[in-house]
Parts: sequence; structure tokens; C-alpha cells
Amino acid sequence: MKVKTRLPHLLMGVGILYFLVPLLWVLVAATKSQPDLLDSPALWFAEFNLFENIGLLFREDDGAYGKWLVNTALYSGLSALGATALAAAAGYGLARFRFPGKRLFETALLGMIMVPATALVLPTYLILSEVELVDTMWAVILPSLLSPFGAYLIRVYVDESVPVELIDSARIDRAGELRIFWQIAVPMMRPAIVTVFLFTLVATWNNYFLPLVMLSDADLYPLTVGLTTWFNTAQQEAGTRMLFNLVVTGSLLAIVPLIVAFVLLQRFWRSGATAGALK
Amino acid sequence: MTRSTPIAAPEADHPPAAAPVESRARQRSRRVTAHPVAGALFVLPFFLVVVAFLVVPLGYAFWLSLSSKSLALGTRFSGLDNYVRAFTDPLLLDGLLRVVLFGLVQIPIMLGIALAGALVLDAVTTKFAVAFRLIAFMPYAVPAVVGALMWGFLYSRTFGPFADLPTLVGGDPIDFFSVSLLLVSLGNIVTWAWTGYNMIILYSALQGVPREMYEAAVIDGATPVQIALRVKVPAIKQAISLAAIFTVIGTMQFFTEPQIMARFAPQISAGYTPNLYAYNQAFAYSDFHYSAALSFALGFLVFVVAYAFVFVNNRRRGKRA
Amino acid sequence: MLGTTWLAKLRGGLAACGLLAVAACGGAGGDDGGPVTVSVWAWYPEFKGVVEAFNASHPDIKVEWTNAGTGADHYAKLKTAITAGKGAPDVAMVEFQQIPTFIILDALADMGEHGANEDKGLYADWAWEQATDGEKVYAIPVDGGPMALMYRKDLFDQHGIGVPTTWAEYAEAAVKIKAIDPAAHIASFGSDGGWLNGLMWQSGCRPYGYSHTTAKDQVKINLTAPECERVVDLVGDLVDKGLMAKDPFFTADATAALDSGKYWTWAAAGWTPGYLAGSLKNTAGKWAVAPMPQWTAGADEQGDWGGSTFTVTKQAKNPKAATTVARELFGKSDAAWQIGLDKAFLYPLVKDVAADPAFTGKAYDFFNGQKVNEIFVPVSEKLGDFQFTPFQDFVYGELNDRSAEAMSGSRPWGTVLEETQKNVVAYAEQQGFKVSK
Repeated sequence: MKVKTRLPHLLMGVGILYFLVPLLWVLVAATKSQPDLLDSPALWFAEFNLFENIGLLFREDDGAYGKWLVNTALYSGLSALGATALAAAAGYGLARFRFPGKRLFETALLGMIMVPATALVLPTYLILSEVELVDTMWAVILPSLLSPFGAYLIRVYVDESVPVELIDSARIDRAGELRIFWQIAVPMMRPAIVTVFLFTLVATWNNYFLPLVMLSDADLYPLTVGLTTWFNTAQQEAGTRMLFNLVVTGSLLAIVPLIVAFVLLQRFWRSGATAGALK
Repeated sequence: MTRSTPIAAPEADHPPAAAPVESRARQRSRRVTAHPVAGALFVLPFFLVVVAFLVVPLGYAFWLSLSSKSLALGTRFSGLDNYVRAFTDPLLLDGLLRVVLFGLVQIPIMLGIALAGALVLDAVTTKFAVAFRLIAFMPYAVPAVVGALMWGFLYSRTFGPFADLPTLVGGDPIDFFSVSLLLVSLGNIVTWAWTGYNMIILYSALQGVPREMYEAAVIDGATPVQIALRVKVPAIKQAISLAAIFTVIGTMQFFTEPQIMARFAPQISAGYTPNLYAYNQAFAYSDFHYSAALSFALGFLVFVVAYAFVFVNNRRRGKRA
Repeated sequence: MLGTTWLAKLRGGLAACGLLAVAACGGAGGDDGGPVTVSVWAWYPEFKGVVEAFNASHPDIKVEWTNAGTGADHYAKLKTAITAGKGAPDVAMVEFQQIPTFIILDALADMGEHGANEDKGLYADWAWEQATDGEKVYAIPVDGGPMALMYRKDLFDQHGIGVPTTWAEYAEAAVKIKAIDPAAHIASFGSDGGWLNGLMWQSGCRPYGYSHTTAKDQVKINLTAPECERVVDLVGDLVDKGLMAKDPFFTADATAALDSGKYWTWAAAGWTPGYLAGSLKNTAGKWAVAPMPQWTAGADEQGDWGGSTFTVTKQAKNPKAATTVARELFGKSDAAWQIGLDKAFLYPLVKDVAADPAFTGKAYDFFNGQKVNEIFVPVSEKLGDFQFTPFQDFVYGELNDRSAEAMSGSRPWGTVLEETQKNVVAYAEQQGFKVSK
């Protein structure tokens, strides 16, 4: 048996190297000062400068990075909560009720997943600008509430793992529909809900195009847009502000929270998703 | 890839999605309790968001695409002219061809690695395998913007360790940003970012394959590789094709990586990918009408390709059943 | 730690812009008799101090500055806001080559209506020409980029290579440099439309013509004139022979190459001393500036690469106050120019500032004490008329894409301008212009 797994282990070793090296590079590069970043060997440490970099990072542009971090957390947290709540209710409604137009809506749901996002951003900008919401946090959060895939996922999951009989017997006990949803269905849907929450959280956290178009006030930027701005500055005005070390350190701090969240929560959401597939 | 883009569709294909066909069949035979008003109320908030941020923008975009704005002449109604222009626009067609080419090479490689990894994870349960699973998945948590910046640094001669490797044996340094290597460099970024994600999806599907399905094969003395190819892969065909569809959709919308990479490699032209072209038409050339038409045409193509894929897939399965 | 204005903005967004009260939110400042607020989008380095200096000297106006991105990002947002009819700032930074683009988008207010014509004599003539159209003042010049040749004086001296005064000598020097150090190049082809444009300008090529006032639907495109072609022939030949590198400008790779002796020259602009001094450490003190090589020995043809202006948008709520801001943020402000020259390294287009001995006589350590502005100032004075198209992004995009093809070997350099000309004309006609050559 040991001999047979040698090749798979070798392949996995190569894989680990491939997936890890870029992340290691960021980790190493974030500890370097601007001159060392340009001069020292790419994958090895020079003078340890991480804390100076972090200090600089949070001081640059009057603490812009801190704002961007808070904005990102705020936008992705609110969007994920909202999108998950909407998707959970809709998925449950579609799976356990019958009403006019339902089949049509379900068919359309699959189509909605396929609409290219970029096709929506531009008209959404023009519409939001009509109601004066452009360049506010809502311009990023409201469009992010849309998650047809989340609704679809939850619909399938409810169908598989929330028994009709349980709901019926609750109805016989004269429980209200909202209470049935909240007290019986939601606890059973929890794995699917966590999955949808994490997906929408990551989608908004990593979002670039929507905030790029919607926001012009740097105070409202999320990390992705802010870091790109700094990168441009670093390239085009290198003479006055070499910011590469800050871009690198900022990138590191932008990915650490999500990686930690995923490593911690991976088992949970994965088991949920798997359960949904195979009941 | 625009998978992490705006309208939060976490375009994942996910095991639950792997089950819809049989579940729909089961559902039909089951009695669904009819409470039309309550049911509609549960769906209503979601429906409103769909109307506000999908139906109305799409309708608006379509309306925009029906008129033309030229710099000198102003705006006028032009019917389907923009679409005629789009499908005869060499820049769009170039970009389309580039993306198709990219997909034909990159998607099989990525899904192949993902599938192989998933099969290994399913068969090997050492701590090392668990570590591999966690690490392979990490790039998913890295924003596409940061991923592209990171690789941009890694590719560069100044920051990165790779470009100068050939000089160790007396060769010329590699220029990852040269026109001939750009597509490969971009393909590597996408592969790095999404392989682990797809692997986890396929692994989850594999975990759900009932052990009884291949116990017989084990008793018959089949090797793990034979079991993997003859039993496990067919068992998760549905999940594989869904992963493929969503990857195709993502590839057709290829945007963020080339947009960021253009800052390292100005050779990435305005029409490098169709989505980038639509973006530039709107935001660099101020032609929102043509841009809307481009986006619409692209969306339509994606839609047709994806549905054709589903259709062919279903038919093939139907025949076998 | 975090600025209170930012928190207030977020809180304001949360409270006033509640989902149900959509119409109630987004309002700007009130009419309480305080100073008029003027919003400005710009990406100048060290601009904060300039804004503070303005606000301190103008109690009736309060400038609110936003950095909406550098270059393309900034323009993308500006154009989107213009299309939407809302959301544009009162005053926007616009580079010279972009002015006609924003004029034809009907985005710019005529500052001539608010007395801006008074400033005519204040600025370098060529800049004022580009910023205005007859009596209409669309932009107020700020900084420019008169071109000159930066070169590694130490290396040129050490190997006895004369500083090239003509482009023919430049090409000969390129060969010598390669012979001395096979890893070195005379310069890099930067894949930068503005740079190539500057070289063509310096060659006497005038490829574009456009006036919104006289004929808004007519444009002249002539990229295939001999004066234009010879520029591309020269650099293309150097690239093909491996004498000129292919690194895009302003990337870390190009910067590192400049700092490690990989490039011996850079035909750059009046803002370059600041750029170089800030980013090159190893080669500081080893560079010098010489006038641009000429196409004809003894001639004095000059070109410009880059430069920017302030414009007032048609969305400005108070165009008069906005005009004041555009004219006086830099303009005659000593405080602003002190920051602009010493920290942001702008090349001033205000004649008096450029002629001031404090500027012309300034010795640069980076250039081993050379007073480089003595070279740049006459260049700027020599610059004549040069016009841009109202779709310059497209032209530069074409130039870059066709040059990229030539660099990868899929197109002969000799067809780059021909193909660009063809595509630009097709685009112009598609956009409804009558095109002449």
C-alpha cells in the first residue's frame, strides 16, 4: 500500500509547491523594504521589515488602507447577509410552495446564473445615478444582493433535506408560515445557508469591477480598487512615491482574513454542500 | 476571469447542483403544499432584487444597444445596426477567437488537474492529502485583482524568481509579458486560482458516490486507477460537466486578469478579450451604446454555448439511460 | 485613527440613504452662506498641500479634492459621470491629448465666459493653443513635458562615445553600446502612445487636425507623412536589431533596467528629472541631460511628451467659482508652485515660473549638479502648434497594438503607421467624421 501511494504523494507535493509558492512570495516580499524588494533574492528574506511596512501601510494617504479594510468588511458582510437571507427565503418558497409563475421563475433562475456580470454593471450605473446612489456604499451593496445561484442552491437543498411532512404537521399545529420557516426549516437548511453565505462573502470581498465603476471617492473604495490605485501610482509616479512594498504588504493583509476563514470553516461548509448533493 | 465579479453570482458549480434532475423527478411525485400567497411572499424580496438589478438593467442595456452614438453626429435610433457592426468588427472577432483558443487549452488542463487531484484525495486519506486539499483551495480566497498583481510581480524580471532562471544555464531571461507568452502567463494565473476550487467541488461529489458502487470492482481485483476511471469518473459525470459549464461561462467573460495584467504588459490591447473590449468601448471611447450591444451579444453567445452544452449533455445521458 | 470625514460619509450613507428614502439622499452642501464648495478630481503627487494653500488664500471657496485614479481609471470615471449626466466633479484634471475628446463629449464649460482669457499671456503659447479654441477657454494649463535626451554621462564618457546630436548618430551610438555591453541597450521602446507621439512631434510630424469651433465633424489624420514614418522606421529598426529593448515604460522592470546600466539613454520629458531622481538609487549622479537629437544636423525641432490642465465640467454647480479654482490652484500661486516644483517635479507652463532663476538655475544632484532646466525651458519655448484628435485614446491604442505586433514579429515595422492610419480613418468615419489627410 505504501508503495502505491508514493506517486500520488509526489504529485500532491508538486501541487502544494505550485499553489503555495506565490503565497509564500507575498509573505516573504511583505517583510522587505522598498529597496530590498527590488534587489534581494525573490524567495528569501532580507532585512525583516514587516512591521515597518505595516506601519507605513496604515499611515499612507491618511490611513486609507484601514478605511478600505473596514469598507471591504462592511460591503461584503452586508451583501453576504442580505443575499443569503433573500436566497434562503426564495429557495424555500420555491421548494415548498406552489404559486402562479413559479415554474417559469425556476426556469429563468438557471438563465440568470449565466448572465455576464459586466453586461449589468454599466446599465446599473446609469440607473443608480438617476436615483443619486452612485458613489455611495449602496451602489456596491445593492447589486451584490442578487444571487440567483444562491437561490438555486438552497432550493435544491430544501427539496432534498426539509421533509414536507414536517412542515405539514407544523401547519396542523397551526404554526404561522414565518415561524415554520424560521424555527423548523432554517435550522435544517443551515449547511446550505453557510455555503451560500461564504460564496457571496468571497464574491463581494473579491469584487473589483463593480466598485471600480460605481465609486470615485477614494474614502469609499474596497481593498481591491484601493490597491490597484496604489499600484498605478507606484508605476506612474514612481519618482515621488515608490509604493510597491505597500502594495505587496497590503495584498498580504487583504488575503489573510479570507484564507483563515476558509481554512477554519472549510469542513463545515463542505460537509453541508456534500450532504445537499447526496441525500 | 470575472467569476468574482459584481452581481454576486458565485458562479460555482456545486454538488447540490449535481442532483437536480433526479430530485425534480422525485418532487413531481410528491405533494407540494399549496399556499400560494405565503409562497409568493417568500420569493417576493428576491424577485424584487432580480427585477431591480437584473431585469431592468438588462432591458435598459438592450434599449441602449438599439441606438448609436457617434462622436460627430450624436445619438440616433439605429435598430440592430450595432449588432451587425459587432459581428463584423475584427477587434471583437479577434478577441473572441483568442478567448476560445485560450479556453480550449486552459479549461481541459485545469479540469484535468482538478479531477486527478480529486480522485487522489478520494483514494488517499493521509494527513499530507488533507494539507494538499487545504493549500490547493487557498487561491480561491485570493481576490482576482491581488492574484493578478502577485503573478505580475512574480513574472517580472525585477521582483520575480522565474524570469531569470534560464540565465543560470546561460540562456536569455524569459519575458512572460511578451506577446507570444502572454496568453500562457494569463492561463497560468487562472489555473492557479481556480484548480483547487474545482478540485474541491469534484472531491465533494466523489465523497457522495456510494461505496457499494465499487466494492464489487475491488473484490474483482480492479486497481485503484481502474476503479477511478471506470466507476468513479462516470459516477460524477454530472458534477464534471457542471464544473465545465461554469468554467466556460467564466472564460467567455475573461476580464479582471487581463485588465490588471495590462499594467505590466501594455501589449494587452483594448480588444484583448470581448469583455475588455466592451469595457473599453464604454469607458475609454465613451460609446455606451455599442458597448451595451457588445455585452449583449457576448451574453447571448455565452447563453447559447452554455445551453447547447446542457442540451447535448442531457441528450447523451438520455440515450444511455 | 481613521478620518472623521470618512466615518461621517459612511454614516451619512447609512442613515440618509436608507433603502426607502432613496430620493432623500445624495444632496450636497447647503446655501448657508459659507464658502462655495468646488469639487476637484486630480492625481498630481503632493496635491494635498496645493489644495490647502488654495483654501487658505481663498476664504470664499472651499476645494474638495478627490483622487479618482491615475490616467485611464480617472478618465473612465469622468466619462461615465458625463454620460450619466451626474456625478462629475466641478473641476477635473485633463491631459492635453484628452482635451478635444472631452470637448466633443460636450463635457467642458467655456471658462472664457468667466474671464479666463485674461490668462492668455501667462502660459506657454503652445499650451494655451491646445487648451483653447478661438476665444473659448476649455482648459487652464498646469504642467508640460518638453522633451530632451537623458543619458548615462559616465558610460558615454568612459567609452568615448559622443552625445548624439542627430538621430543618425543616435543609431550609431546604439551599435557601439551593444558592442561594449551585449546586455545593454541604448534605450527601450516603451509601448507608450504619448512617447511615440512626442518623438513624431519632434520630427515635425503633425498627424492630426481638429477644431470643434470651426468644423466639429471634420478631422485630419495623416500618420503616413514622411516626418512620421521616419520615427517609426528608426525605432523599429533599432528594436529589430536588438539595439533597443522592449520593456514598457514605468514598470518596475524598466525602472530597474534604467538603474542597472541596461539602458544608456532615455528620450524623455521635463518631468523626468523628478521621476528618475525618485526611483533610481544606484545610478544617481551619473546621468546628464542633452537636447534631443535632430533629424537634420543643426536644426532645432522640439517635441512634448505629456502635461496636463484643469478643466471646468458642464456639471459644475458654480462655474464661476470653478473657473477661479482652475485658474488659481496653480496659476500665479507661489505656494502651489513651490510644492509643484520641489516635491511633485512638475514642469511649469507658467512662463514666469519657468523663467525664474530659481527654476532655471536649479542644480540637480541626480544629474551631478547639472542645471537641466536650462535645456528644458528653451525647448518649451520652441514648441509650436500641435493638435490632437477628439478620439486620441483610440489612436494611442492603435499605435500600441500595431507596435506590439511589430515587436512580436507578426508585422513589419514599416506597416505600423499605415495600418494605424487605415484603422483610425475607419473609426473616424464610423463615428461620423469627414476625414481629410
